[in-house]
Amino acid sequence: MSQDPVVALLEYEEVVAEPVSATTFGRSWYHYLLLGAALVFTAVSVTFVGSIAWSSWPDWIHHGWTLLSGTGWSSPDGPFGGLAMIVGTAETSLIALAIAVLIGLGTSISIVFFIPRRFRTVVATLVELLAAIPSVVYGLWGLLVLAPWMQNTVNPWLNTWPFAKAIFGNPGQEFGTSLLLASVVLGIMILPTFVAISREVIAVVPQDLMEASLSLGATRWQMIREVVLPTAKIGLFGATFLALARATGETVAVALVAGSVANVQWHLAYPGTSIAAWIATEFGESQGNEVSALMALGVLLMLLNVGLALISRSLVSRQRKALARV
Amino acid sequence: MVEVQARVEAETPKERGATAMQLTNVAVAFHGRTAVRDCTFDVTKNTVTSLIGPSGSGKTTLLRALNRLHDLTPGAKVSGTIFLEGTDIYRGDITVTELRTRVGMVFQRPNPFPTMSIYDNVVSGLRFNGIKKKALLDEAAETSLRSAALWDSVSNRLKVAASNLSGGEQQRLCIARALALDPEVLLMDEPTSALDPIATLHIEELMKTLKSRVTVIIVTHNMQQAARISDDCAFLLMGDDRAGELIEFDTTEKIFNNPEDSRTLDYTLGRFG
Amino acid sequence: MSDVMELEPSHTGHEMREQIRQSADRNRSRRLAVSRVMVALCSAAIVLAAVPLVLLMYQLIKQGAGQISWKFFTTLPTTPTLLDPTATGGISNAIVGTLALTLYASVMAIPLGIIVGIYLAETQSKLATTLRVIAQTMAGAPSILMGLFAFSFIVHDLNVGFSAIAGSFALAVLMMPVIIISTEIAVRNVPATLREAGLALGAKSHKVSLKVVLPSALTGIVTGVILAISRAIGETAPVMLVIAGGFINSWKPLSPVSAMPLAIYENAKSEWPSQRAQVWGIALVLVVFVFILSLSARIWASRKQQVR
Repeated sequence: MSQDPVVALLEYEEVVAEPVSATTFGRSWYHYLLLGAALVFTAVSVTFVGSIAWSSWPDWIHHGWTLLSGTGWSSPDGPFGGLAMIVGTAETSLIALAIAVLIGLGTSISIVFFIPRRFRTVVATLVELLAAIPSVVYGLWGLLVLAPWMQNTVNPWLNTWPFAKAIFGNPGQEFGTSLLLASVVLGIMILPTFVAISREVIAVVPQDLMEASLSLGATRWQMIREVVLPTAKIGLFGATFLALARATGETVAVALVAGSVANVQWHLAYPGTSIAAWIATEFGESQGNEVSALMALGVLLMLLNVGLALISRSLVSRQRKALARV
Repeated sequence: MVEVQARVEAETPKERGATAMQLTNVAVAFHGRTAVRDCTFDVTKNTVTSLIGPSGSGKTTLLRALNRLHDLTPGAKVSGTIFLEGTDIYRGDITVTELRTRVGMVFQRPNPFPTMSIYDNVVSGLRFNGIKKKALLDEAAETSLRSAALWDSVSNRLKVAASNLSGGEQQRLCIARALALDPEVLLMDEPTSALDPIATLHIEELMKTLKSRVTVIIVTHNMQQAARISDDCAFLLMGDDRAGELIEFDTTEKIFNNPEDSRTLDYTLGRFG
Repeated sequence: MSDVMELEPSHTGHEMREQIRQSADRNRSRRLAVSRVMVALCSAAIVLAAVPLVLLMYQLIKQGAGQISWKFFTTLPTTPTLLDPTATGGISNAIVGTLALTLYASVMAIPLGIIVGIYLAETQSKLATTLRVIAQTMAGAPSILMGLFAFSFIVHDLNVGFSAIAGSFALAVLMMPVIIISTEIAVRNVPATLREAGLALGAKSHKVSLKVVLPSALTGIVTGVILAISRAIGETAPVMLVIAGGFINSWKPLSPVSAMPLAIYENAKSEWPSQRAQVWGIALVLVVFVFILSLSARIWASRKQQVR
């Protein structure tokens, strides 16, 4: 389906679940080997969910909904309020998403329509390398290069704008690490993910639909806006949800650049944290009840991620089916 | 982009009507490889002209040169001259989007825009061209749907998605969509190749009535179809260097009954192709 | 612009055509201008997308290259002191740790992943369908969850403690779905005719699977494995919870180890400028590692396409 031999998004490869042939391995040793491995993997995945859920159990028992609605995090005995992390996750990943979708959509459109064919492989490779850079390296770059720049240049500049205080607050030159910086770094990190999927769904819009619009006197942009994007709409939503899933799950980069402060923070130029980043920064020093609270945050993260990924995958596969029919 | 060559003033035969399109030495090349060449003929207004020939003879390539669809293909070069009612369409100051409102196109596969309703499909060309006036859109929609013999069956469900129509109806919708801009010329690229025989028959009948309103140039694989519907015929054939070339252009009657070139006869008799 | 194709109305009865043409003429230059602007904006987006990559690589090479030396690779790190604020030492522990973690993780994940992948491709059952969805979901799951899993299961429940084996377990869980999915795709891509030819010769189905199908799918499987390793090698979140770090070179599965991503994470937050400078060197080595792996995966994959 995808044109790239190596897409960093293997889970989006459409597996055609039709019988390969009537292969049965009877009662041979081979049959038992395959079945055995499958059962081991089943056990691993059940243990995966089970052990995290089980470790989080004490927190749900003792603190219940505090994790979802409480504020303040005091080690080692609580309370363990997760609202700051939930809000921080929402803020950073939504802003990151806006950045990635805006730039990513333009990039995908350029790759498909405006870049000469021979450069496409080069661009595709670059996008893939961008995705291959470990997230800790993005975090490092954000912390050592972007944070001082935010602190000394961007923050003071932001506050020369009217209303900027309402959105960003006025940290002066006090902080470099902030929710805003985390959002920007996250946006850069999820860009390749969004581009990989959106490029594919745009590229499979049938050629003759585009030619039909041109033959009616449409300009190139009208062709893209009125025909290509609406036709690819569902798949583009799928790409968006996938990018959102990635943003919510991103850990170390956010841990390094968000500032690790567990306050519900609406002013974006101030430090904050996210669910995943908080687990990473707190886990080292945690004991007893706090471990269980962090595990509970892990459960939350898992549910969020699985939900977003399922929505995304069903949208992408709906798009593929729809275009197969067109 | 275009070599403008001295145009030989062809004399219009007395019995023929005015000329809609005039092709002189038209050739199309991709990355320096010629795909079709030596096409010189006049398309008479309010007639159906068919381009016939075996696959690879460059019929579709030639057709797509007539509304400059090759402009978007990297490495494509069109040479020779093509005049639309006296204007060279490859002249530097021609706006392609404008040209395409005057030379419409219908494709092999019925391809209504899948996200639009029937109504939106029909008026899409007008909307692309910035026309928003409801009255004009409604009038154009009705006129062109009637011309495409589709009005009676869809007038009560104009807001329904175009994908709900049958294949034949979808193709007629595409014809209506092209007609809505009231073009001088309508290009049709094997418009019935994806349709069943009955739908094909409907489209063929439609074409006979359409020519009172628009000049039709159609590419077809089907010789019976060409014989049934067209007034003039251009026969193309792949030359030795795998480039298509025009072998003969004449009235359909002449092409099918006593062509000048023996290859034309062989083809129309079904000896090859 | 609008009058370049002026021509007298060819037929009477084309009042609508005139209306359409005039209206279109009025809008044309605006539409073309909008189109040009939007095309330019899209091209600007691609430049904007490339800017971070360029800046990041620039910093990485500029600041990292100077850190690299023989000692950098071969000596243990030291903690800078007030007397000797530039004494950072090398990163041999992190390199050894990363190699050990990757090795143990590969031993756990590759055989199991490949066999499960074959199972998904070769059988049809409810279990296969379920496992496919699980593998796809796990492939996209946040990697910190693998760390939580390794902590609660290996470190805590099995009471193994902070160790290389716990870290490699987390990485193995991370790698497995990637290997499973790419193996399934590679096996399914083997032409059915090949398998049928084998069966027609009277070979048993498991012999065909082993001797005919697997060799043809090998390139695809290897691509997936390299991809999985390159993903695992750069992961910080899953290992940081369970390997504890430490300034020793250790290959022992049960002893705490360090790892390159962890060293980057720790040193980036250091108060010592010398350590913050050294971190670029580690990052450069790590990125070179990962790029070599993912480019070789690409080359393997394109080889596959040529062979077909």
